[in-house]
This record gives sequence, structure tokens and C-alpha cells, in this order.
Amino acid sequence: MKFAVIVFPGSNCDVDMYHAVKDELGAEVEYVWHDRKSLDKFDGILLPGGFSYGDYLRSGAIARFSNVMKEVVKAAEAGKPVLGVCNGFQILLEAGLLPGAMKRNESLKFICRSVELQVENNKTMFSSAYESNEVITIPIAHGEGNYYCDEETLAKLKANNQIVFTYSGSNPNGSLADIAGIINEKGNVLGMMPHPERAVDELLGGADGLKLFQSIVKQWREAHVVNA
Amino acid sequence: MEKGTLLYEGKAKKVYQTNNDDIVWIEYKDSATAFNGEKKASIAGKGRLNNEITSLLFSKLQALGIDSHFIKKLSATEQLVKKVEIIPLETVVRNFSAGSFAKRLGVEEGAKLARPIVEFYYKDDALGDPLLIEDHIEILQLANSDEVAILKEKALQVNTVLSELFKELGIRLVDFKLEFGKDENGNILLADEISPDTCRLWDDKTNEKLDKDVFRRDLGNLTDAYETILARLRRPISMYKVKVFVTLRESVLDPQGTVVKNSLHSLNYSEVSDVRIGKYMELTIDKSDRPVDEVVKDMCERLLANVVIEDYRYEIEEAVAQ
Repeated sequence: MKFAVIVFPGSNCDVDMYHAVKDELGAEVEYVWHDRKSLDKFDGILLPGGFSYGDYLRSGAIARFSNVMKEVVKAAEAGKPVLGVCNGFQILLEAGLLPGAMKRNESLKFICRSVELQVENNKTMFSSAYESNEVITIPIAHGEGNYYCDEETLAKLKANNQIVFTYSGSNPNGSLADIAGIINEKGNVLGMMPHPERAVDELLGGADGLKLFQSIVKQWREAHVVNA
Repeated sequence: MEKGTLLYEGKAKKVYQTNNDDIVWIEYKDSATAFNGEKKASIAGKGRLNNEITSLLFSKLQALGIDSHFIKKLSATEQLVKKVEIIPLETVVRNFSAGSFAKRLGVEEGAKLARPIVEFYYKDDALGDPLLIEDHIEILQLANSDEVAILKEKALQVNTVLSELFKELGIRLVDFKLEFGKDENGNILLADEISPDTCRLWDDKTNEKLDKDVFRRDLGNLTDAYETILARLRRPISMYKVKVFVTLRESVLDPQGTVVKNSLHSLNYSEVSDVRIGKYMELTIDKSDRPVDEVVKDMCERLLANVVIEDYRYEIEEAVAQ
């Protein structure tokens, strides 16, 4: 399975993402610059955190119009796993691949610390390696992670089990329904504010994020290498 | 084309024969009259201004598919037009309340009418150009009901085009008078003139009057006002200055606004009940084939605002490249 780490001007978690996939997960991975016109050779797409285009106008607002995003939409439509972390989540929202929008944190502060997440849905290709309702520790680092959507959308997210991760205990940013990560209806596009790629090694304070990547690979193997 | 004998002299124009029976030669005079000729003056340059403005407006109307008797401008004060038999009706279109309408009906001057309305007046100096109802027009055999319908339709067409045209120039077309004539085949054709003598034109921002009311009411220099109209008509709009305002939707809690509101309260501005913080953008947009309003709306929807959580509004101002 081959992953692409999409790099925009201003991405700054791309190296962590690359490291997590290559060194900790042990899968193939390549950096892909934002002007790339094809993602055909990749099996999974990773949109890392950072401040693409300086977060000008709104987080993710400019990045969504880059060349590579057309390909990301195509990959999503083709059913490939697409993971957006932090700024990557914001880009997926702006691109309309996930519903809702991001507001500034309720405290108006940039928050950088580890938080506890509850796995709300472990029946997705991103969370199957977790136990149901498992509480995991993953770092967050954002100023705009205050997820918002209208009531109708929220009801739909709940009804379809699209809320994959919620903040457990205290909600750091004021997000609606404690939402930390949501998946699309089809189940192959996940956006989350916490950084699983920063929690892949006990040396770095925890490895709870690794299972997320392992889930993706597991699902892909089951689908593609079943007869190998 | 040769100028022949004087056929007719009115308050504002002289009409000469030409060596073509179907064409007459019009000369605009410098005289200004109001209140049915009770107030008179000779104002140097007025003939030129009305000729220039009328020629420009008739040309623009023709370019947009509205025919008139206008053929071409000959000189600063002269033009050639098709010979028509003028229907003795003044067809008036009103978009806003003003003049005799405001006075007669007690509607405040400047009030926007729910829709443009058409009035007819009898072109008769001795009677003082009285307002007519359609039965009057029919009974006096000034025009039949089919012709009245045509006059109305044409007048409203002209109104749509001129209102838009003047709006782009920062001018409000309050009301105006048209005259129509019949050509040798009996076709009804827009005739006479369209100028600040026959239109009420107000600056869209300042409400300054740029028409004959300046003379009627002694509001200043008439030629200055008419020059303003001519200058704006000659100046092509080449770009727009657009102001875009983006704020979080009412239904979305604005964390920044809340903090600022609390801060204002701590400074004793207890009367502040709400603060919404948004973004303000200034865009300069070149004129193109696409309507600017559509372009701006599109940009707001696609990029400038995130309509999931944000509302936007915009203001468009015409501008001329320096």
C-alpha cells in the first residue's frame, strides 16, 4: 500500500506524517507537492497539518483550489482512504468532502497539548484497530478547531455514526458535540483535529495514533491482498 | 444634405427642411423655459449640451435595439432626424415621486414608486399641458387604444434601458418625458429629445439635481449640471470598486465578538448588546462581459465567504480608470 503526503506551501506536519507512515507503520510513502496533477499511483491520501497558504482568508480556503485537490476529490470518489489532520481536516471541510466548518477556538488561544479522545465508532477503515469507546491520548495543536455544523447536519452525523472521535472529559476548543473527528457518509474520508502522526512512538510520549494508520493498512490488505 | 427653409420653431428647437422629404434638420437653441413658458432665459451652451446628450442617448438606445427618429449628429448644436408627425402627447415615466406627481398626490419627493408608472399629458401650451386619462386620449382622437398600449410599452422599454445606463453613471433616473411621432408608414417612433430638459436626474449619492429643476428652482448653474451629465455619459466605466463584508452567521456564536463585547462592558459600555467580528475586503474588478453583480456573488459563494458559517454582503461602485 502506497501513501501520498500532500504538501502545500505552509504545511508543517508533513515530515511527521511521512515519518509515522514510513518508519513506524512501515509502509511506502511519498511527498506530493500541491501542483501534482495525478494521484493514481497512490492507495491512500494524507493531508497533513500546518498553515497552508498562511491560513489566509480562512484555514484551508485557498488550498482547496490547488491542482492536487481535484485529484484528492477523485481519490475520495474512487473510495481510497483520505485522511485530513488538523489543517488537512480544515481543507477537507472547505473542499466540501466533509460537512461543516471550523471556527476559532472558544478561548481564542492556540492550544498545544495532549488530550483524551473517545473512539465513538470503531467500525471504520480508520479506527478498526481500536476498541469501541476506547479512550486514547493524542496531541492537539490548533487555533481553529472549534467544529461547527447546523443541527440538521449534526443529526445526520449522529444517525450515520459519522462521528469517529470525540474529546473525552473536557472539550478544549468548544467544538459542537465534542467532535474531534468525523468521517464522510461513504466511510473513506476522515477529518480530525488531533494529530495521530505525533503519537506513534512511546519515546514521544505515546503511540495511540499508530493504530489509526494500522487500521487503514489492514482494511486495504483485506480488500486487495486477500488472495496473495 | 442641405439645410432648407425653417419649418417650425419651438421653445427649444428649430426644425428645417432638407433636400430629402423624409429627413429634417434640427437646431437646438440656447433658450430655457419652465412652467409652461412663464419662466424664460437664454443660457449660452444649453443648445449644445442638449444636442450632445440627446445624440449620445439616442445612439445608445439604438445600439440596444430601441429605434428613434435620430439619424446623426451634424454639429455641436445640430442633428439630422427622420421626419415624423409628432403625436400631441407627452409620455411621462416615473420611477420616483417628484414634480407634479409629488404635488398632486402628496407623495414625498424622492420616494421610490413600487413600479414605474406611465402618465400622458396633452401637448397644448394654451391649456397648460394637462394630465390625460386614457379615455381623454381616445375621445380627443389623439391616439387609439392600441397606440396608447404601444406608447406605454415603448416608454417602459426606454425606462429599463435608461435607468440601468444612468445607474452605471451614478445617476438616478427619477422621471422623464418622451415624445413619439409617426413616420410616413404610420409606425410609431421615439422622437424629440432625451436630455436633462426632459428628465429628472439626481446624483445617486448626494441627491444633487442635475436637470432642469436647477433652472426651475434656481438651484445653481444649469450648464454645470448638464456638463456633469454629459461628462459622465462620455466617460466609459472601466472598472468597479467592490467592498465585501463577511461576518459569522447570526446563528453561529462568534467567540471573538463575545470577548470584545465583554471587554467593552468592562469599559462601561454596557449599552453594547452584541458584537460580531468579520472581514472587510476591497476588490477592484475590471469591467467584463459578465455582470459584475453575478461575478461578485459567485466569488463570495465560492471563496470569499464560507457560507456554512458566514454571511456576506457587498457594495459595488463604478469607477473610471485614471
